[in-house]
Amino acid sequence: MEHTWDFSSILASRDLLLVGLGNTIRLGVLCLVVGLTAGLFVGAARYSRNRLINWPATAFIEVFRNTPALVQIMWFFFAFPIISPFQIDAFTAATLGLSLNTTAFCAEVYRGGIQSIHKGQWEAAKAIGMSYSQQMRRIILPQAIARMIPAFMNRAVELMKMTSLASVIAFGELMHQAKAISTYNFNPIETYTVVALIFFIMIYPMAMVVQRVELHLRRSDQ
Amino acid sequence: MGYEWDFGIVLRDFDVLLLGLVNTLKITILALLFGVPLGLGAALLRLSSNPAVRIPVGILIEFFRSTPPIVQLFWFFFALPLLTGIEIDPFRASVLTFSIQSSAFFAEVFRGGIVSIERGQWEAAKAIGMARNQTLRRIILPQAVKRMIPAFLERVIELMKTTTLVATVSYADLLYQANNIAQSTYRPLEVFTIAALMYFAILFPISMTVRRLERHLARTGETTAH
Amino acid sequence: MTEVLRIENLHKSFGANHVLKGIDLVVEKGQAVVLIGASGSGKSTLLRCVNFLETPSDGRVWLDGTLVGHQSNGAMDYRESDLIPIRSHVGMVFQHFNLFPHMTARQNVMEGPRTVLRLSKAECIERGEKYLRKVGLAEKMDAYPSHLSGGQQQRVAIARALAMEPRLMLFDEATSALDPELVGEVLQTMKDLADEGMTMLIVTHELGFAYSVSDKILFLHQGLIHEQGTPDEILVRPSQTRTREFLRGHATFRLPDAEF
Repeated sequence: MEHTWDFSSILASRDLLLVGLGNTIRLGVLCLVVGLTAGLFVGAARYSRNRLINWPATAFIEVFRNTPALVQIMWFFFAFPIISPFQIDAFTAATLGLSLNTTAFCAEVYRGGIQSIHKGQWEAAKAIGMSYSQQMRRIILPQAIARMIPAFMNRAVELMKMTSLASVIAFGELMHQAKAISTYNFNPIETYTVVALIFFIMIYPMAMVVQRVELHLRRSDQ
Repeated sequence: MGYEWDFGIVLRDFDVLLLGLVNTLKITILALLFGVPLGLGAALLRLSSNPAVRIPVGILIEFFRSTPPIVQLFWFFFALPLLTGIEIDPFRASVLTFSIQSSAFFAEVFRGGIVSIERGQWEAAKAIGMARNQTLRRIILPQAVKRMIPAFLERVIELMKTTTLVATVSYADLLYQANNIAQSTYRPLEVFTIAALMYFAILFPISMTVRRLERHLARTGETTAH
Repeated sequence: MTEVLRIENLHKSFGANHVLKGIDLVVEKGQAVVLIGASGSGKSTLLRCVNFLETPSDGRVWLDGTLVGHQSNGAMDYRESDLIPIRSHVGMVFQHFNLFPHMTARQNVMEGPRTVLRLSKAECIERGEKYLRKVGLAEKMDAYPSHLSGGQQQRVAIARALAMEPRLMLFDEATSALDPELVGEVLQTMKDLADEGMTMLIVTHELGFAYSVSDKILFLHQGLIHEQGTPDEILVRPSQTRTREFLRGHATFRLPDAEF
């Protein structure tokens, strides 16, 4: 079957796509900021020796890592409003689902990064009389963060892709706009091709930087 | 909050959820069956010394890794039939999408495992006259596969989580069934919670296995491939 | 005497780095030839050009009187399919052993006869045992490399190369990665081979060993053969200043005979 590609209807709908792109970026950036921040605390809680602190943290991390993000988003959109004290719209539900998901993964990155530092570094810092917080702040974290950067960037890549799940609960991000455009103009071939390309152009450079940084770190580690 | 939980209504429809879970597993396993060999092939092509092979395969892999799977699924379900004139049902579209999508990730797992093997192993095999294919089959892959297992299992977890997207094209997987029951019983809180727990019950043990294997491999001095 | 290896005007560059600048070398059957020189002098690269782990940038290599590769427009063209038979006739022992860690000692030694020479299973087993016995590891046949000492691993690696029944053996700093107390057993294995008449081309820093085992020593300096001759000519009465400087740097800590 011959298909004549026609991008004019997409061009006519570019405002809709731009709104979607804006919403995608807004959702992605917000969830990343929340995830990176909250992840540090949850990661620290999991690292704690106190069971009352590390058990809930562990449970939180495992639940959000081992259930599908789409289920999380739908849970926050359809189920959570029943017990929620406040109104939940699609944006709030998507933000809650994806932020908590990212928090759980980032918590593990923080923990893994800190644990990857050789015991000798703690001991050497201790041996020159540093306190625990000095050891952590001046010796361990500066080394650990460098190693965490690729993992965090990976999370950002995954997160940007996951924002498209918000279309399922009709939040007007890029994928949702695409659905609307393709239904209205009956041009799914062009619409989904263009949207795939937009995502690719947005995400691939991030993925490439991750690879560069990983390669660089592996070399400088030796 | 004065909400009264009632799991009884949901449990009456538990067999419907189980049927959904079976369908979820069906898609996952089929995607693995096609995706793993496809991924190995793609990895070997990407490692080729010929740039005319290496570069296009690399772009294809990166494209499927860098675009959301839901966009891919919609493309295969809505756009591909119009392009080819071949009707495609939600099941086939899902298997097709997730086989290709996961193969891109498996390709990187394989590649990571292969390049993690020291150059000396290639050289030693070369030095006794082994050809590239023999070296790959008998020396490199047997060592690489062991290191790849954790990264591989992690991809299986991701794959199963990603299959929830099939609900959006009306394939009756676990999430789709849960959504239906939630609407008919007006009990979304219980239904979605149980559905989440069902996913958790399958994924968590795999996740624990990954962690244990990683610790074991780290102890024996073999790094994992990610 | 028959020539096993002849090299003429061999050059090798890595990008702008000109490592070998025109090497001529002949190794005759039964000879043990030792290459010495500072690190970066090109001796390992030279060795790796002999079995084409590195492709020479220019020059020619003959094995058993046959020119390796095809000539096209005056330059040499090396195809992988031509190099495989060459490599199966030239054994190589690496600094870091490079044993296959997922195979036992015996499987390591059998691997070449089995996949490259395609011998029958019985013949492979026989070869495996024969060569492991030869390097003194009859009782370690079923051990994995990780359960062997460095010296034992290197002897397995020697057996793996010998099992191809090569016409020429290359040793690339075979003892440099070993703890001092394990060096002796590997050197002894190499010396036994030389005494049996194996043709060998050896890169080593063990000058005492070089003195006792070699028929000819070549001193490499900045990608060229700076001086060559008998062990006495090179190690005892070197004529070149550079050679003397190199030996002075080594004698203080390398010559075991002088130290103990």
